[in-house]
Amino acid sequence: MIRLQNVHKEYAGRPALINVNLHIGLGEFAFLVGPSGAGKSTLMRLLYREETPTRGQVMIGGVNLTKLSPRQVPLLRRRLGIVFQDYKLLPRQTVTDNVAYILRALGVDELDVQRRVTSALCVVNLEDKASAFPDELSGGEQQRVGIARAIVNGPPVLLADEPTGNLDPSTSLEIVQLLERISQRGTTVLISTHDHFIVDSLRRRVISLKNGQIVADVDSGLYEMEAKG
Amino acid sequence: MRQLRVLARVAVETVIGLKRGGWSNWLVISILTVALTIFGGVLQLTMSLKNVVSSWGSQLEISAYLKDNYEPGKVAKSVSQIADVQVVEIVPKEVAWAEMQSNFKVAALNNPLPNTLHVRLCTPEAVERTASRLRLMDGIEHIRYPLKVARNLNRFRQFLEIAGAVVTAALTAATLTVIGNTIHLVIQAKHREIEILSLMGVSPWYIKGPLILQGAAYGTIAALAATMFLVVLHLYLDPYVRDQLLSFLPVLPQTLDSGNLPTFMIVLLLGVAVGAGGSAWTSGRYIKI
Repeated sequence: MIRLQNVHKEYAGRPALINVNLHIGLGEFAFLVGPSGAGKSTLMRLLYREETPTRGQVMIGGVNLTKLSPRQVPLLRRRLGIVFQDYKLLPRQTVTDNVAYILRALGVDELDVQRRVTSALCVVNLEDKASAFPDELSGGEQQRVGIARAIVNGPPVLLADEPTGNLDPSTSLEIVQLLERISQRGTTVLISTHDHFIVDSLRRRVISLKNGQIVADVDSGLYEMEAKG
Repeated sequence: MRQLRVLARVAVETVIGLKRGGWSNWLVISILTVALTIFGGVLQLTMSLKNVVSSWGSQLEISAYLKDNYEPGKVAKSVSQIADVQVVEIVPKEVAWAEMQSNFKVAALNNPLPNTLHVRLCTPEAVERTASRLRLMDGIEHIRYPLKVARNLNRFRQFLEIAGAVVTAALTAATLTVIGNTIHLVIQAKHREIEILSLMGVSPWYIKGPLILQGAAYGTIAALAATMFLVVLHLYLDPYVRDQLLSFLPVLPQTLDSGNLPTFMIVLLLGVAVGAGGSAWTSGRYIKI
């Protein structure tokens, strides 16, 4: 589902990613780990086409992202669910409106919108907060709204960029377990994180980045395996 | 159906954007209204003056004196076929002589006057051109016309055209700047929201559409307000101005009315175009998706 081939990314001549090769299959769940500046966020931004590689190819679902025209980028992003560290919720809209926004922008019938939003809020267990505004919610709840928004359009790929960065350990674990459940429904999930606790708790595939290079890629891995790799 | 729902959502987003604008909406609309009122007033004045100048120009006559052995009616027919000629009046030499005799003490002579044609033209700039053609026509001995007046009128018309274009360009630039700055502020205020929508895969035109419509709404409301002011000014000021000018510009009353409807239409179109165009340009410049 996700494939990177010989990907290089440089910023003003300084390498951020060096010869990255990666394949993540359909329905797979993986962590992308590494210290700050390792290149995790750069790699994630390449996947949702916020950036383009200096060299190499980035493919999602068989689509070569490096060859997408600017007009095709929104079409790609509708096929991706993206979860952010800072939630990126619209502050003046209710939970329902935040989750429904993309569906309404795409002209989905309102009855269908309500059905899909209810279903997404059910998955993240926030049905009772449907009318609340983001600032009335805890950090964990806001992140669950972000996840509901990411999955409401039924994307085959879900990218989570440091989704637990602003959360306490127990809430972090809840969020990651929620993402794991979503993955079990057939969605490919890639989570970038530097949170040892959640990585070690789940023991799933761990891809370790250091200085822009993949130094380890281990099934059922631990965060510290990066150092050994 | 899906497209209609999207359009309806864009309209809803526009209304939400306008509601959020609050008092700043009225500030922008006020500035635009002032600019469009000045523009409309200048336009109306320019058009009225141009009409006045044209009327004066059409009062300019070329007098063509005919050779003795030519039939005035035939020559007049040929002259009337020249483009820009509005009216050809024949003054037979007997009539001219009788008039002269009634006005002045003249000796008992044979009539020395020629048959004359008085030629009136549509526009003052046609005077010199037509005079040259008349000079070359068979049957015309000599012509006379107020060359200096025709030239000055043409210069004044050209000045009005240039002045109108300069004022239009300046006010269009001013309104574009006002709209552009306002939409830029809206974009800055919505920066985070725009980033989120972009990352969610919302199409660029769905993000920019409400901003463009917002600009068009500003322009339309301001243009309607400006038109209202111009109508009021027209209703209350015209009779006064006309009375004041009637005494020394007798040609003015017939020409001052013209140009109102075109002016209002131009103000309205300019308001909408500048509003939508200004915000489209600003959205394109500052929203990178």
